Amino acid sequence: MADRAEPGRLALNAPATRRTALRLLAGAGAAAGLGLTAGCASDDGRRTLRWWSPQAAPDQVKMYRAQIAAFEAGNPGVRVVFEPTSDEGYPAQLAAAFAAKQVPNLVTHLPSFTAQNYYARGLLEPVDDVARAIGEQRFFPGANDIYRTGDGTLCAVGIGNTAVDMFWYRKDLLQKAGLSAPPATWDELREACRRMQGGGVYGAALPYGMNGMTSLIFIGFIHRAGGQLFSPDLEVAIDSPATYDALEFFKSMREYCPAGASNFSWGESLTAFVSGATATGIYGGRVLANVAAQNPGIAGAISCTTYPTMSREIPAWTFNDFPCLFIPKGAPHLAETKAFAASLFAPPLYIDQLHAAPGHVLPTLQTIAADPAYLANPLIARYPAEIDLMTRTAAAGHNLGQETAKHRPNLKASEIISSNTIAELVQRVVLDGEAPRPAVAATAARLRELMRG
Amino acid sequence: MTNRQRPALIASLVTWPLVLLIAFPLLWMLLTSVKPQAELFTTPPDFLPNAITFEHYRRVLEETAFLQYFRNSLVVAVSTTVLVVVVAVLGAYSLVRFAYRGRELLASLVLFTYLLPSVVLISPLYLMLVKLGLANTLASLVAAYTSFALPYALWLLRSFMAGIPEDLEAAAMVDGASRMGAFVDVVLPQALPGIISTALFSFILAWNEYLYALVLVNSDEARPLTTGVMTMLISAFNIEWSLLMAASVMMSVPLIVIFAFFQKYLTSGFGAGGVKG
Amino acid sequence: MAEAALPGARLERRDALLGLALIAPTVLVLGAVIVYPLLSAIYLSLFSLYTPTLEGHWVGLANYRAVFGSSGFWSALATTAVWTVGTLTLQVLFGLAMALLLHQNILFRSLARSLVLFPYFLSTVVAVLVWRWLFNDLYGVVNHALMAAGIIDAPVSWLGTMPNAMLSIIVVGAWKFFPFVVIAILARLQTIPEALYEAARIDGAGPVSRFFDITLPQLRDVLTIVILLRTVWDFKEFDLIYLMTGGGPVNGTRTLPLIVYQQAFGLNQMGLAAAHAVAMMLVMLVFMLAYLRRAGGRVA
Repeated sequence: MADRAEPGRLALNAPATRRTALRLLAGAGAAAGLGLTAGCASDDGRRTLRWWSPQAAPDQVKMYRAQIAAFEAGNPGVRVVFEPTSDEGYPAQLAAAFAAKQVPNLVTHLPSFTAQNYYARGLLEPVDDVARAIGEQRFFPGANDIYRTGDGTLCAVGIGNTAVDMFWYRKDLLQKAGLSAPPATWDELREACRRMQGGGVYGAALPYGMNGMTSLIFIGFIHRAGGQLFSPDLEVAIDSPATYDALEFFKSMREYCPAGASNFSWGESLTAFVSGATATGIYGGRVLANVAAQNPGIAGAISCTTYPTMSREIPAWTFNDFPCLFIPKGAPHLAETKAFAASLFAPPLYIDQLHAAPGHVLPTLQTIAADPAYLANPLIARYPAEIDLMTRTAAAGHNLGQETAKHRPNLKASEIISSNTIAELVQRVVLDGEAPRPAVAATAARLRELMRG
Repeated sequence: MTNRQRPALIASLVTWPLVLLIAFPLLWMLLTSVKPQAELFTTPPDFLPNAITFEHYRRVLEETAFLQYFRNSLVVAVSTTVLVVVVAVLGAYSLVRFAYRGRELLASLVLFTYLLPSVVLISPLYLMLVKLGLANTLASLVAAYTSFALPYALWLLRSFMAGIPEDLEAAAMVDGASRMGAFVDVVLPQALPGIISTALFSFILAWNEYLYALVLVNSDEARPLTTGVMTMLISAFNIEWSLLMAASVMMSVPLIVIFAFFQKYLTSGFGAGGVKG
Repeated sequence: MAEAALPGARLERRDALLGLALIAPTVLVLGAVIVYPLLSAIYLSLFSLYTPTLEGHWVGLANYRAVFGSSGFWSALATTAVWTVGTLTLQVLFGLAMALLLHQNILFRSLARSLVLFPYFLSTVVAVLVWRWLFNDLYGVVNHALMAAGIIDAPVSWLGTMPNAMLSIIVVGAWKFFPFVVIAILARLQTIPEALYEAARIDGAGPVSRFFDITLPQLRDVLTIVILLRTVWDFKEFDLIYLMTGGGPVNGTRTLPLIVYQQAFGLNQMGLAAAHAVAMMLVMLVFMLAYLRRAGGRVA
C-alpha cells in the first residue's frame, strides 16, 4: 500500500554519522509501523458496516459498542465499526466522503436539515422501510414528519430528540425574588431577571456571539413573537413586526446577561447557568447531568419549562435539531445496514444508549419514554416532570428546516445557519446599535440570495 | 555574550518569571485536570484544587483509545519529521552550494505551493488519495504533512546553511573528501541547530494538525490524537472539560520532556570544525 | 560570507547534475502530493460547485468578479492585514527577546527552553478552549486577577467587543506561535562565533553595541526568512480565529481564511471558496515577491 519515496536515495551519503543511522532506523521502523497500521477493512470475509456519529463521548461510545456486539452476535458475517465524527468537522468529512464515494453506511445524530439537504441532492437512501421495521406506531405522533421529503419518502428517522432551548430557572432564586411561578411572558421574564440579578448573579445567559447558537436561538425568539423566517411556501418573511419585537426583546435582555455573552456559544451559556452565575438558562437536558457533576449544590433547585413567549396567546415554540439517522447512498451492504439501523432502536440497549446522555438525548419512541427501565435512571427518576415535559415538547418541536407543521422542508437551512446571517443581524442591532429596519432589510436580501443559491 | 561558566543570575531573574507567565496555561491545565468536576467553574475561580483526583486520567487511559491515538500520532510525526529533514537537508544544500538553471525559480515555486489556503486542497487531495488506495491510512497523513512542512523546512535550512562558510568544505575536499563526503562530515554538523529547528517544527506540525487528519482518516486504528481527542470530548453542545484537560496534559507533557532532552543538540552545533577566526 | 583563503579551494559550483539530484526529492514530493490538488483547486474556482458532490457548472471568471466586487472580501483583507501585522510584530519582538534571554547561561536553562515551547506544542483547539476559559468574565482567571490587582473593577469582555477581540486574538496568536521564532533565532545564535564577541569586548564595546554590531547582522538572514514564513502562515491562520471569536463581533475579526472555510463547508460553495483562496494566494504572492526583492541577496 505504501506509495511514498523510499529512503534508498540516501546511498548518496555514506552513512557516516551515528545520527544519520539512527534516523534511518527510525524511518524504517516508522515505515513498518505505517504498513502495519494501515486502517484497511478486515480481511476475514465479514461484511463491514461503518457508523458515524458526532455524539461520541466515552459514555456514549460504550453503549454503542454494546449495541454493536449484540447485532454482531445475531448476525455473524457482519462487522460494524463505529467512527466518531464531530459537530464542527462533519461538513468537511462528509463532503470529502461523498465526493470520493467513500461514504459510511449510516450516520446518526446529525440535524434534520442536514439530512434534507443531502437527500435533495440525491445523496441519501430513503428509509421508510427502516421506520416500518422499528414500528411506525411506536414513534411519537408526527415525530418523523420533519424528515418527509418532496417525493413523500422519509430521508431519515429520528433517533433522539433534544429540546434545545428550554427555559431553565432556579426555584430558590425565584422565591427569594418574591415570585411564585416561573415567568410565562417576556414582560414577566424581564421583571423576574431584574429582581433576581444582583450579588454576582445575572438574570439570563442568552447568546450574542457570532456563531450558530445565536442564529438558532434567535430564530426561536422570532417565533415566540409570533413571526417566522419564511412563509410556509418558503418566501422570505423575516421583515415583519414580530422580528422587530424579538430584536427589541433581545436588546432589552442584554443588560441581564453577563458581559461575555457577546461571545457566548453553547458551552459558555450552559456553564453560566450550571455554575450558578445566572438565574436562568436556555439549554437542553444536558443541564441536569452537568449540574449533578459540577454543581450538585443547586441540583434540588433547578427546573425547566417552555421558554416564555411574547404574550400568552402566542404558543410555545421549541427548537429541536431532531438528531436523526440517515443512510448515505452508495454504501455497500444496504440490507444489513437497514437491519442494523432498526436494531439501534431496540430496548434495552437503546435505553442504555439514551441513558448515556440522560435528559439530553430524549426518546423518539413513546414506548421507550414510558418504559420503566428507561425511567429507572437516577437522573431521569429525580426529575420526572422536567423529563416528561422535554420529551413531549421536543417531539412537538421545530427547527429552521421546518418552522411549523405547515411549512415545506427548507433545504437551505444548514447553509443559512452556517452563513451566520441571523447572528450578524443580532450583533448589528443589539451590540452595535444599528437601526433595525435597514439591518432586517439587508438580512432579508441575504436570505433571498441564499435561497436562490 | 556573557561568561559561560558563571550562571547569569540577573538574566535568570528576568527570564524565569516570563517563562512561567508563558507556561501559565499549562499550569492551569494541570491543576484543572486533577480537580473533581464539581470544582471546575467556581466563581470567583479557585486556583488550587481542594481535592486532588486522578480519576480523569484514569478514564482517558482506560475508557478511550487514547493510547492508540498517541501511538498513531507518534508514528506519523516521527515519519514526517524524518522525511522532511532528509529531503529538505538535501534540497537546501543543493540550493546553497550549486549553480544550475532555474535554481531561484525552483526555490520560489516551492514556497508558492504553500500560499494557497489548505482548506480548498482537502477535497482534491482526498480524491487523489482514494484513487491511490491510501485513504484512511497513516501513510496518507505522512504524505500530506510532509508536503506542508517541506517548503518551510527548505527555506529555513537554506538560510542556516548559507551562513556556513565554504572554506571548511573546501579544506575537506582538498584533503581528499568527495563532495558528498564533505557535506556529511562538515556541513551537517554545522547545520545541526538548523536541522533540529526544522525537525522540531515538522514534528509539531504533524502532531497538531487537525483538519486534514479529520478528513483523511476515519477509522480509529489510524486516527491520530488531535482528531481522536477532539471528536471524543468536544461536541457542539457539550465539552468534557475534565477529560479534555487530562488528555491535553498527556498530549503535551511528554513532548516537553523529550524536547528538554533534545534541545541540547540545539547548542552543540559548533565545535566540529572550529569556525573561530 | 568570506571567500576561501586557500587558493583553488573555491567549491565547484558546476556540479549541476549533483545539485539537481539533491533537489529532486523535494520536487518529487511536492509534485506528487501538492501540485495536483493545487491545480485542481485553481481549476475548481472556475466553476460553481456543490461541495459534497463537487458537481456543478462552468462559470468562468464570474466567481472572481463576485470575490473582488464584494466589499466583504476587501474588508476581510484589511482585517487579515491588521491581524497579520499585529501578531507578527509581537511574535518577532517577543521571539527575539526570549531567544536572547534563553541564550544566556540561566539556571535550569533546558527546562526553561522546553517550557517556552509549550504554547507551540499545544494543539490549537485545546489552546483556544483554555484561553476562552481564562478570558471568561464569570469564572476566568484573567479578569479575576486583574480585578484583584485593582487594574479593572468590573469583568471585561475580552472576546465580545472590538477592539478587545482583535487585541485578544493578536496576543493569543503571538503566545501560540512565537516559540517558532525563538527556536529559529536560538539555533542561529549558537553558531555566532564567540571570538567575535571577545574581540569586540577587548575593543571596549558594551552589550548594546555588541548586540547591534554583531548579533543583529548575524541574525539578519534568519530573521528575514522567519518573517517571511510566519507572515504566510499567520495570513493563512484559520483554527485560532475561528474557534476564538468566530469572526465576530460583527465581522470585526473576520479574516479571509474564515470566509474560505465558510464558503467551502458552510455554504457548500466549493467553487467560490476556491476563488477566494486563489485571490488570497495572489495577495500573498505579491507580498512574497516584493519582500524577496527587497531582502535581496540576504536570503541565500
